[in-house]
Amino acid sequence: MIDIRNLSHTYPGTRKQPPRAALRNLDLSVREGHFCILSGPNGSGKSTLFRILCGMARPSGGSVEIAGHDLSRDPMAVRRLLGVVFQSPAVDKHLGVGENLAIHARLYGLRGTEAALRREEALEWSDLRNRLGDRVDTLSGGLARQLELAKCLMTRPRVLLLDEPTTGLDPSSRRNFLDVLRRVQRERSMTVLMTTHIFSEAEDADFVAILKDGVLLAEGTPQRLREQLGREVVVISPRDPAALADRLSAELGLTPLRHGDELRLDEVEPAETLALLERILTRYRPEIHSISIKQPALEDVFIHITGGNGIKANGANGGNGS
Amino acid sequence: MGVVISLAWREYTRFIRQPHRVIGSIGQPLLFWLFLGSGFTGSFRPPGMEGVTYLEFFYPGVLMMMLLFASIFSSITIIEDRDQGFLQGVLVAPVPRMAIVLGKVAGGTAIAMLQSLLFLLIAPFVGISLAPASLAMVIPILILTSVGFTSLGFLLAWGMRSTAGFHAVMMIFLMPLWMLSGALFPITHVPGWMHWIMLANPVSHALTLLRLPFHAMPGQVVGDPEFAVSLAVVLAWALGCLYLSMLRVRRVERGVPVSSSN
Ligand SMILES: Nc1ncnc2c1ncn2[C@@H]1O[C@H](COP(=O)(O)OP(=O)(O)OP(=O)(O)O)[C@@H](O)[C@H]1O
Ligand SMILES: [Mg+2]
Repeated sequence: MIDIRNLSHTYPGTRKQPPRAALRNLDLSVREGHFCILSGPNGSGKSTLFRILCGMARPSGGSVEIAGHDLSRDPMAVRRLLGVVFQSPAVDKHLGVGENLAIHARLYGLRGTEAALRREEALEWSDLRNRLGDRVDTLSGGLARQLELAKCLMTRPRVLLLDEPTTGLDPSSRRNFLDVLRRVQRERSMTVLMTTHIFSEAEDADFVAILKDGVLLAEGTPQRLREQLGREVVVISPRDPAALADRLSAELGLTPLRHGDELRLDEVEPAETLALLERILTRYRPEIHSISIKQPALEDVFIHITGGNGIKANGANGGNGS
Repeated sequence: MGVVISLAWREYTRFIRQPHRVIGSIGQPLLFWLFLGSGFTGSFRPPGMEGVTYLEFFYPGVLMMMLLFASIFSSITIIEDRDQGFLQGVLVAPVPRMAIVLGKVAGGTAIAMLQSLLFLLIAPFVGISLAPASLAMVIPILILTSVGFTSLGFLLAWGMRSTAGFHAVMMIFLMPLWMLSGALFPITHVPGWMHWIMLANPVSHALTLLRLPFHAMPGQVVGDPEFAVSLAVVLAWALGCLYLSMLRVRRVERGVPVSSSN
C-alpha cells in the first residue's frame, strides 16, 4: 500500500549550519490493511518521512508510491486517500468542535446529510458527542486530541498516518484512543502507519520498523523482532533471594540480578534456556517458589538495536548475539 | 467552490466573534479621518480643487486605509495558522491550491467589505454625499482593490515564520504603498521623483478609481480615459498577485540533491 524506495532526504544547510541528512536510502513497504509502527530515537527522521509522505516536502531522491499513485507525479490522488494526524494540533482553537468538523468535511468534499452521518459515526466512540458547541480552546488536551482523531476518521481514509498521536494523553485516554483506532482500522481494513515511543502501543502491531539516523535498522513483526534479539530472561522467585543468589554464582558461575524478591538471569541464549532451567531445578527445587522464562519486550529490542544504555548494537539482522 | 466558501467563512466568523476588533477596525479610521481631516481643512487649498474640503478629499483615502488594514490582518492570520498548525491540515487536504489562496483572500475581502460598508453608511451623517448610482460603482471598486491588497499580503506573508517579521514588512512596504497613493495629498503637487513612484504604485490607481465616483456620475466616470488605465492596472495587480500566490502555495520545500559523499 505504501511503497518507499531508496528514499533520501537532506535538509539544505545555511551559512552557519551544514546540510543535514535526515533519511538515507530508505526502503520500506507497508502492506494493505496493516497496522505498522515506526519508531526510533529522537531525530532519527520519522517526522521527516511523514512530511514527505503527506506531500509537504519533496525528497532529495528516491520514490514513494501510495496505493499505486506516485507521490511526486500525482499528489492530488494521494491526498484523496490520506488521513493525517500531526504531532502538533491541526484544529482551529477559536472555533467550536462542530465547526472544526464541518470545515474538515468541506475540505474533503463531504456535505449535507452525508457529512452529518459521517460526523455521528466519527464521534460515536468519543467523549465529544455532547460538546459539539464548545470552543476547542476550552477542551482538555485529551479531548482536543480525540477531535483530531475524529476528524480523520470522518473522511474514511484508506491510509492513515499518525505522528506520535498519544503524546499528552493520560494512560486511560491513550488506551481508549488506541482501542478505537485498532477497531476502526480492522473494520475498514485501513492501512495505518504510526510513530510512537511507547512500546506497549506496538506489541500488537502487524509490523514494526525501527529507524536511526535515517537508516532502517530493523523491521518485521513484533514477534520476529523479539526473536531476533536472541535472548531470553529466566525469572526465579526463591524462598531466600540473597542465599540463592550467592549459591547460583558460587556453584554454577551465573550472575543473577536481584529485583525485589526476584532473581533474573538476563541474556540467556534461547538454545540454552531449557538446559539452564533443568540444572537450576534439579539442584535447588526446594528453595524455589516458581521459575519462568520471559520473552524480552519490544522496548528491550529497541534499546538493544539502537544502542542505548551502552549495549552494543549488532546491526539490522541481530543474528549473532554478543 | 465549497472549500473557498468554508475557508472564507472561517476567516469571517473569527473576525465577527471579536467585537472589539470590529469596533476598532471602524473606530480607528473614523478618528483618523476626523482628526486629520478637521486639522488640515483650514490649510488645504490645492490649486484646481477649490470646492473640495480636506475632509471630503481624505474620505476615499481612509476607505483605502481600511482595505489595507484588513489585508494586513488577514495576512497575519496566515502566519498564525501556520504556527498553530491549522494550515498543515489544509495543505494535506485534497483541495486545489488556488482554493487555499481564494479562501483566504475572499475571507479578508469579506471583512474589508463589512468595514467599508459600515464606513459608507455613516457617510451621510458626516457630510459626504454619494448618489446611489455612485455607491453601486464604489462597491465593486472596493472589492477589486481589496482582492489586490489581500493577495499581496498573502504573497508576502506565506513564507514568513513570525508575525514580528511581518510587522517589519508592513511598516516599510505596505504602509508606504498607501502613503504614496495620493490618499493624504494630491499626486499633482509633489516632487518629480515622488510623482513617478506614485504613478507606478498600483494603490494610486486604485485610489483614482475610488475617487472618481465621488466627484462625477458613473456615466462620466466610465468615459474618462484615466479610469480605463487605472482599472487595467488594478486588475493586473489583483490577478497577478493571486496567480503568484498560487504558485507560492504550490511550491513545497525540497531536499537538496543527494551527493555521492555519504
Ligand atoms: N527544517 C529542518 N532543517 C534542518 N534540519 C532539520 C529540519 N527538520 C529536521 N531536521 C533534522 O533532521 C533530522 C531528523 O529530524 P526528524 O524531525 O525527522 O526526527 P524525528 O525522528 O521525528 O525525531 P523525534 O522523535 O524527536 O520527533 C534531525 O537531525 C533534525 O535536526
Ligand atoms: Mg518527530
